Amino acid sequence: MMQIIIQGMLLSGLYALIAMGFMLIFSIGRTLNLAYGAYIMVGGYIYFWLSQQLGMPKIVGFGGAVAVGALMGLLKHRLIVKPLKGDPVAVEISTLILAVIMQSAMVLAFGDASKILLPLIPGVVTVAGAQVTYNILAATIMSWVIILALYAFVRGTHTGRAMQAVSMDEKGAAISGVDPDRINMITWAISGGLGAAGGVFFASYTQLSPSMWVAPVIISVAIVIVGGIGSIIGTLIVAHIIGFLEITVVAVLAPELRGVFTMVLIIGVLIMRPQGLFGREEH
Amino acid sequence: MNLRPHHFILWGLFIAGMFLMPELVGKGTLRTMIFACYLAMFAISWDILSGRTGYISFGHPFLIGIGAYTTGILTRRYGFPVEASIPIAVLVTMAGGLIVLLPALRIKGSYFALVTLAVMELMYQLVPVVRPDLTGGTRGISRLPALTRGAENGYYLAVGLMLAVALMAWLLMRTRVGTALWAIGMNEESVRGSGLSTTRLKSFAFLVSAGVAGMAGAFYAHYLGTITPRAFFDINVLFQIIVAVLIGGAGTIVGPIIGAFFMVFLLEWLRPYLPGQERFFVYGLIALVIYMYQPRGIMAIVEGAWTRLRGARS
Repeated sequence: MMQIIIQGMLLSGLYALIAMGFMLIFSIGRTLNLAYGAYIMVGGYIYFWLSQQLGMPKIVGFGGAVAVGALMGLLKHRLIVKPLKGDPVAVEISTLILAVIMQSAMVLAFGDASKILLPLIPGVVTVAGAQVTYNILAATIMSWVIILALYAFVRGTHTGRAMQAVSMDEKGAAISGVDPDRINMITWAISGGLGAAGGVFFASYTQLSPSMWVAPVIISVAIVIVGGIGSIIGTLIVAHIIGFLEITVVAVLAPELRGVFTMVLIIGVLIMRPQGLFGREEH
Repeated sequence: MNLRPHHFILWGLFIAGMFLMPELVGKGTLRTMIFACYLAMFAISWDILSGRTGYISFGHPFLIGIGAYTTGILTRRYGFPVEASIPIAVLVTMAGGLIVLLPALRIKGSYFALVTLAVMELMYQLVPVVRPDLTGGTRGISRLPALTRGAENGYYLAVGLMLAVALMAWLLMRTRVGTALWAIGMNEESVRGSGLSTTRLKSFAFLVSAGVAGMAGAFYAHYLGTITPRAFFDINVLFQIIVAVLIGGAGTIVGPIIGAFFMVFLLEWLRPYLPGQERFFVYGLIALVIYMYQPRGIMAIVEGAWTRLRGARS
């Protein structure tokens, strides 16, 4: 029981982090940014390359991954999303193509086989009878630090509030003196960085492989939609629902069924209540 | 689209050329073309639903997979003859698709795309786990009965099927229903406003699309002889289908065929340099550039060039 609760908390924190970055973009453009999966995957690989193949300190690897993720977000916005402005279908499809391009780029650079990331921090600790690696503990704590920082940023700073304004009504925000273009760029960059950071943790939690991005992307999209677009609290709650659901299924039923219930939950909620559990009504 | 004599002449030449192909090229090229024909059928199936109505389906591999698995299980596990198992596979695909995706038609845009993507991922996770004695688990089902012997017969079958599917799609699009489907893609509200049931229209488009996908999937499974979850419920399959439609030209009949052949042959030419998944890197870049330059695909580029050429001459 304790094992389930602790493991559930840990996995949920990770999911919340990954979903957060996706939420930023989805709440602005309502675009299903499948390339978000690419940030997750590329983040993991950059970290692997810098820290394990080049032997640099882990913090450099992590910083490098976040920087590359942010850069990818920026480029994506500049080169693809902006020229296609106003056409969500085109953006969706171009992000699918981009995701596959990045996936094959990683195969090209690192090969097809999956890789094991060395733990961020080695060691195991026993909490209330449950075995917890320092690695996943560190990942969860860092996820929470990043989430809280993001929350403070969005709520407390001028730029953060402008991001919210643009996500609610771009024209209205522009009239009140916010430059939506600049805000969009900042949002894409932050989203890319968050995705890459989440990717490093996620890869160290499972493993690193070129096709690792599909499941987290579906889960994060689902968390965001089920949680309600633009609601940070909703995202957090649903991340925990899904995290605990997966851990419970693995512990009680069978590990192979892990993803099945998540997908069923997602499909069910999307069909019955497309506006999500905590979101504002969409038109 | 107005029909002109030259349309029929071009189509006649195209069909004649396709059927003469075995005389002209080797067995290896023929096999590539067979694959292209099946991909073209998948692409047409996708285009009937998504290219026309604008409801982007990320779940077509799911439909194709149902068709393939149904016929695979029926023939290998229950000893059905192929003549019975393929029609059953088509029906099962239509029914399965309807049950899963009909409710999804209530939701729009990104939500529809996401639900279909989730369904595909669900199948990928379910198929190896549920009744592995039937599905063969992750290793799939092998030694499916072959329909034809030799590359030439397989080729004739694939080309015949593809042309039949293309003809069917063409006839469908010339009816009032086809026009209504187009109109949904442009403005769904106004279609509903003119007194048509958009739900019924979309369900119909979905059924046709699923039927074609199931049939193509079933024949493809018998052509391959082996089916595995990774070969069907995979994002790369989805990518190939969608890209074939888009770079060929969505909403046309020839477009998906051109796109599929372009795609398969490009991948084939790249094989000596990049053996595996890396080919999609080059391929994806080309697709992205074409798509960004002209979202309506090669068809529109060729048409544009043709018009400009004629304009320059006169």
